[in-house]
Amino acid sequence: MADNIYEVLGPWAEADPVPSRGINTRVTALAGKKIGLYRNGKRAAEPTLKVVEDRLKKRYPTATFTSFFNMRANEAIVEQDVKGQFEDWLKGVDAVIAAYGD
Amino acid sequence: MYDAVSIEDRKKPIAVLVNKGFANDAESASRGKGMPVLRVIPTSVPCEGSIMEDIEDGVDGALDAIIAALTKPLTAEEKSPKPKEAEKPARIIFKGSLEEVNRFFYQRGWTDGLPIIPPTEEAVAEMLTGIDLPPDHLLGKLQSRLGKATIEKIAINAVMAGALPTYLPVLIAGTIDLLESEPGFMGYTTFGFSTGSWAPFWIINGPIRNQINANNSSGAFSPGNIANAAIGRAMGLIIKNIGGVRKGIEDMGVMGNPMKYSMVIAENEEDSPWEPLHVEHGFKKEDSTISLAFPQTYLQHWPYSADAQGILRSVVDNIPRGMRYTLVFTPPHAKNLAREGFTKEKVKKYIADNKLVPMSRVMAAGMGGPRPPGAPPGPMPKEGDKIPLIRDPGLIRVIVGGGPGAFIAHIVGGGATPGRKEIQKIELPKNWDKLVAKYKNVVPTHAKY
Repeated sequence: MADNIYEVLGPWAEADPVPSRGINTRVTALAGKKIGLYRNGKRAAEPTLKVVEDRLKKRYPTATFTSFFNMRANEAIVEQDVKGQFEDWLKGVDAVIAAYGD
Repeated sequence: MYDAVSIEDRKKPIAVLVNKGFANDAESASRGKGMPVLRVIPTSVPCEGSIMEDIEDGVDGALDAIIAALTKPLTAEEKSPKPKEAEKPARIIFKGSLEEVNRFFYQRGWTDGLPIIPPTEEAVAEMLTGIDLPPDHLLGKLQSRLGKATIEKIAINAVMAGALPTYLPVLIAGTIDLLESEPGFMGYTTFGFSTGSWAPFWIINGPIRNQINANNSSGAFSPGNIANAAIGRAMGLIIKNIGGVRKGIEDMGVMGNPMKYSMVIAENEEDSPWEPLHVEHGFKKEDSTISLAFPQTYLQHWPYSADAQGILRSVVDNIPRGMRYTLVFTPPHAKNLAREGFTKEKVKKYIADNKLVPMSRVMAAGMGGPRPPGAPPGPMPKEGDKIPLIRDPGLIRVIVGGGPGAFIAHIVGGGATPGRKEIQKIELPKNWDKLVAKYKNVVPTHAKY
């Protein structure tokens, strides 16, 4: 028995492109720099950044480190009432290392 | 990842560490925010890991890459990524036999693994009789890829799922539920994608339940009724094909969840002593609605006895940890509870007041944060204290359903914060009565033997 032939419509929706943008120029070296350590609340994030800090301090003894923590899962930090504190913290660093614990 | 994008937007270079299994997810998230070239370093640090040896190995293995991510000069692509083209897939996408169509759709990740009904022009046109809105009417743009949820795309996915045209108004209301879902942790953008494998769970209320033969009694959650099966299935395909939520890329459910195939029930309003769910939310009894939650867990148990104490104590002893709860009582249990003065509110309060758990269990789960949600005001409870598991009775929904028999069902996991969007009115087309008459008798008739 011959198969029926089906001409079908596609289920995949149209989507407008999100305009792309590049990333920032990097720092030339980590020596002497202020490194921000940024994390979410997932279990592995904090110990990961502690180890990162330890290892980088050994390689770059003149680098300094400060931390910031987004306590609220799945909520952008810039939409929270701590946005001001976050931005103040960010102004004080030269570069950031983030760990998401996932 | 969104925070990482915000950090680059504020002119600071960032290197992002993720478990290597999340590399595709990270790329999708940052691309979705317009920064496809974010420097992400996959590591072997286990997800939610706490063993220092593993964490140290993971960091040591990635340290050079971390330093390079912060210091290596940008490439031309990283300075100015090529713009992405608008996605305008062809309307007629394929022509072939039933098997070929299914293979084509499956291999593009457009199905749930089960065979689909080919969405031909004719089948979609018939589906579109289920609503008065034009096919190109746009309901909104659905996360994660902000795909355009037009009536036609919903109808195509509905055909694929095996839905009847009388389900289209339900699916449109369900899509609106997703589009208007609470932002942040308690909404679709968490539960649609999270490692927790939360499944969309739909409760239908109002006259439409009987008009479309949605099951509220024997085996309501089991396979065998087109409405319950196809509505849930279609919503899953809508999330996948309009929202662009791909397994292992955006949908990072660790174990997965069979409830994602379909989890739909109609509330048994006729045999309930209580007001139905939609009336609790302020709708009129004659309105039809669909409500949404995202459970992770489904369990059933017997009551200790058929009276209120026996029913409620068994619920308290069995209810698992979650953020939102739905309890399904059979009509006899509901009547026994009501006979002893328990309204839905009193049932919820009893459960919330009596489900106490040791503080040590909350702390061990690592979900306590600075203060566990159930902890009463005052000094922080000590490890040996017992605190309420459920901080607010409003987190519990109670509905009536199921067949003859004594089991109680718990559907527990995620869902909207009480008072936020979780229920949507279903709007019907002008030809509704004719449509119902056309499809009303599509019901199973079991063989007698």
